[in-house]
Amino acid sequence: MVSSHMAKTADLLPGTLDMLILKAVSLKPLHGYGILQRIRQISGDALDIPQGSLYPALYRLEHQDLIAAEWGQSDNNRKAKYYTLTPAGRRRLREETAGWNRLATAIGAALNTTAEEI
Amino acid sequence: MLKGFRSIFRVLRSRQSFEESMSDELRFHLEQVTDDLVRSGVPLEEAGRQARMELGSLNSVKGECRQSRGLYIIDEFLRELSYAARLLRKAPWFTLTALLTLAVCLGANLTIFAVIDSVLLRPLPFPDSSRLVTIFNTYPKAGVERDGSSITNYYERRGQISAFGSLAIYRYGTALVGEAGSAEREQVIHVSPDFFATLERGPVLGRVFREEETTNKTDTVAILTDTYWRQRFHADPQVLGRQIQVDGVPKTVIGVLPPDFRFLSSEARIYLPLASDLQQRTPLQRHSGGNTTQMIARLKPGSTAAQSQAQLDTQNTRLELDDPQGKMMAEAGFRSLVVALHADHVASIRPTLLLLQAGVFGLLLIGAVNLLNLLLVRANARAKESAVRRALGASGGHVLSEVMVETTLLTVSGGLLGLAVAAVGIHLLATLGADRLPLGSQIVFNGRLAFVAVLGAIVLGIVLAAPTAWFHSRGPLLPAMQSESRSGTASRPAQRLRHTFIVAQIALAFVLLAGSALLGLSLQNASQVSPGFRANHVLSGRISLPGKSYSSGRMALAFTEQLIARIENQPGVLAAGVSNNVPFSGYSGKSAAAVKGYIRKPGESPRGNYSYGVGGDYFSAMGFLLRAGRFLTTADSRRAERVCVVDEDFARYYWPNTSAVGQQLFQGSEQEPDAEAFTVVGVVGRVRQAGLTAEEAQGAVYYPYLYRSDNDMFVVIRSSIPSESIAPSLRRIVRQVDSNLPVNDIQSMDARISDSLVARRAPALLAALFSAIAVLLTAIGTYGVLSYGVAQRRREIGVRMALGAQPKQIGRQFLYLAFRLLACGTILGIAGAWLAGRAMQTVLFHVPAFHLPTLTGTAVVMSVVSLVACLVPSYRAARISPMETLGHQ
Repeated sequence: MVSSHMAKTADLLPGTLDMLILKAVSLKPLHGYGILQRIRQISGDALDIPQGSLYPALYRLEHQDLIAAEWGQSDNNRKAKYYTLTPAGRRRLREETAGWNRLATAIGAALNTTAEEI
Repeated sequence: MLKGFRSIFRVLRSRQSFEESMSDELRFHLEQVTDDLVRSGVPLEEAGRQARMELGSLNSVKGECRQSRGLYIIDEFLRELSYAARLLRKAPWFTLTALLTLAVCLGANLTIFAVIDSVLLRPLPFPDSSRLVTIFNTYPKAGVERDGSSITNYYERRGQISAFGSLAIYRYGTALVGEAGSAEREQVIHVSPDFFATLERGPVLGRVFREEETTNKTDTVAILTDTYWRQRFHADPQVLGRQIQVDGVPKTVIGVLPPDFRFLSSEARIYLPLASDLQQRTPLQRHSGGNTTQMIARLKPGSTAAQSQAQLDTQNTRLELDDPQGKMMAEAGFRSLVVALHADHVASIRPTLLLLQAGVFGLLLIGAVNLLNLLLVRANARAKESAVRRALGASGGHVLSEVMVETTLLTVSGGLLGLAVAAVGIHLLATLGADRLPLGSQIVFNGRLAFVAVLGAIVLGIVLAAPTAWFHSRGPLLPAMQSESRSGTASRPAQRLRHTFIVAQIALAFVLLAGSALLGLSLQNASQVSPGFRANHVLSGRISLPGKSYSSGRMALAFTEQLIARIENQPGVLAAGVSNNVPFSGYSGKSAAAVKGYIRKPGESPRGNYSYGVGGDYFSAMGFLLRAGRFLTTADSRRAERVCVVDEDFARYYWPNTSAVGQQLFQGSEQEPDAEAFTVVGVVGRVRQAGLTAEEAQGAVYYPYLYRSDNDMFVVIRSSIPSESIAPSLRRIVRQVDSNLPVNDIQSMDARISDSLVARRAPALLAALFSAIAVLLTAIGTYGVLSYGVAQRRREIGVRMALGAQPKQIGRQFLYLAFRLLACGTILGIAGAWLAGRAMQTVLFHVPAFHLPTLTGTAVVMSVVSLVACLVPSYRAARISPMETLGHQ
């Protein structure tokens, strides 16, 4: 499984993991493993999160009150910790998304520039 | 404190649930991943392995999670704390020695600090108390350093000195309070109406005194302190308007002060108006302060003491222009000084306290050096361990924080024990008479002290840990792994450092010992000063005649005559007399006497001298020496002819070449008509008036009681039986003469003299105690370091002995080392003792800074103690068997 993804996945840019987590839980409350799967899914299997850094990131976001955690039942009826977005988290996600779009547009424009356009 | 514990507890409990929840969450994650893998066809075992691999090390993930929550530091700290506690428990002797040393040294420091804090540091309990000043008149050239302020001063200055926002006067006194028959003597303070406004604190119930309540006819009001109100009126809120009898006069209660109201060191429980007649407020009375009436003022915001001083000087100069006595006062060096109230009140005790604090700090240094030695020895023993750990990747910061936590745990525990020692120490101080010092009764064990203890202990911990931490974290690892191990020998810098410590300890202990010897010596010098009279078997007591029933001098005289006649009839009484004041009573004021026909030479100042009115057989009762002529007798008050007795200082000053007997003088500073003159009929020996160490020769004049009667008097009785056994009869006889009169302050003159030395005795005893501990600690330190040196060099010594060195040589070598260290320490100690002696001059009495016998004695004591401390290790070194040491390892 690991090797099968290797070819297509891109490395995460620093600072983008938090953004992706916020996005994932903004759609629906998720547990840690669910977040991993959701990110993989919405990125079309292009992004793979190193599992070891997921949980520290979750605890950090929870400590910053951007997400909230609650224990609940998983699909297969097991006790799981579910994360939801807090209002502060929603604000942060909006800001980060806007910022990312600006950056991506700018970098895209810059990289697509041809000699004639100068 | 409790709150702190609770919050720590809460953190710990939430920690536990945090850990559980984190483990659950990660376990769920692993299960999910494994399930998915199994579903995609991976065998279960392999799936579990892969799941764990993808997550990474569970411990480091958990660690990172904790760090994300900011729990890392608390974690580390708790872990290190328990590790340190375990290490300390594993070395009980080290821990016990260190804790004992810390408890004693920190306890001594905290005890003295409690005194300094209560007396010098804590502001007086009034708002903005740093703006409070006291003002007193001084006539230095007349030998009168301090004469309080007069009532006239008060009325002339009130509202006239713009730097003062408010100005007041007060006078300590006593009064008989209660109904006739059950009246009790109470301490009171007479105050002007603006007294409370000046302090900016006043009654919580009722009002302050009014201007119209300051005459002798209208001063029928009183303000109670909280304690008096609770004791006598059971905290009755309706107390205002009720009456109390003060000296037989009814006074209406108009106010009650707050519970913590306390003016300086006063024990007074009742405040009365300071009443005066118009005649007492005239310019003629300007210089009649007599050191009984005192002035306080509050500086206006923005004004300084220097400004008020300048304004006061200007006013004084202007007023003295019209004063007939002005020229004479100017020649006496008259000035009114403005001094900060708090500083002035504690000025007498300040140098002694600072000195003691310096002394105990020296003690702490000695103890700290011992601890440092112990810690370094431990660090040494663990050098290999720490080097190995660092080689295996432990960070320098880790080793450092470990040392810090261990040492600080030790010092903080020592600090807490020190607090217990201080609690005992404060009690001990009270029994030594510290509560009689200025503000001494306010020395308490409080939260401030606990805070200082913990803070000081933490600082000490960090200071002590620093060298050890440096030792652990320094330089290349290999030498550390090899040096000072059993196979090597002592490293040179480490050894030199330890020897420097010994020298420093010896020098410090030397200074402390010499300093306390100087204090002891000056106490001895002071107590050997002859008071000028035979104080043994003399009882004295104070009687205050209420002005209402004894309005004239004749009535007071009649009272004394009756009293003395009855006392003299008692068995065992040899002589009895009265005087309006006795030496060592704590009251002292000087006044002027003008010698008939004496014209002051140009530039010569008028002189203040002690003046007494005496009755009965006062001189024989006190045991004065008669130099010429005769003593005064009871009859002198009744004779038409006015006579007096002077002391030898007075006689020598005015009549250096002729006999004083037959000469004449006037009471007061002016020449009066001849009819007012007193003829000198006798000259008595000089008596120490204010204290054994008061070096003054201002002279004294003794008048027959009638001519200088006062409502306050002391009765003195010389007996052939122990003076204490006379006290009950004294009380009984006084009550027989006047059933309302109690006798206060009954003490033998011996006890008064002894009490006057309390400000010298208590510090001398404390210093002796501190220096004894210092010497003991130094001996322990020297012994410890040398023993360690011997133990470390066992192998070297073994080899040398195997090569033919004699045990004597080895022993001698160690003794020689000890001797060298002692010599260095002593030389430094002598220099330090000399400096300390110079710094101590203000509190010493007739002891030079460089006192050879003291220094010699100290050197002998230090030598004996240090050499004994060296003997055992040297002996042990000489007994080392080469076979044993070489066989070792």
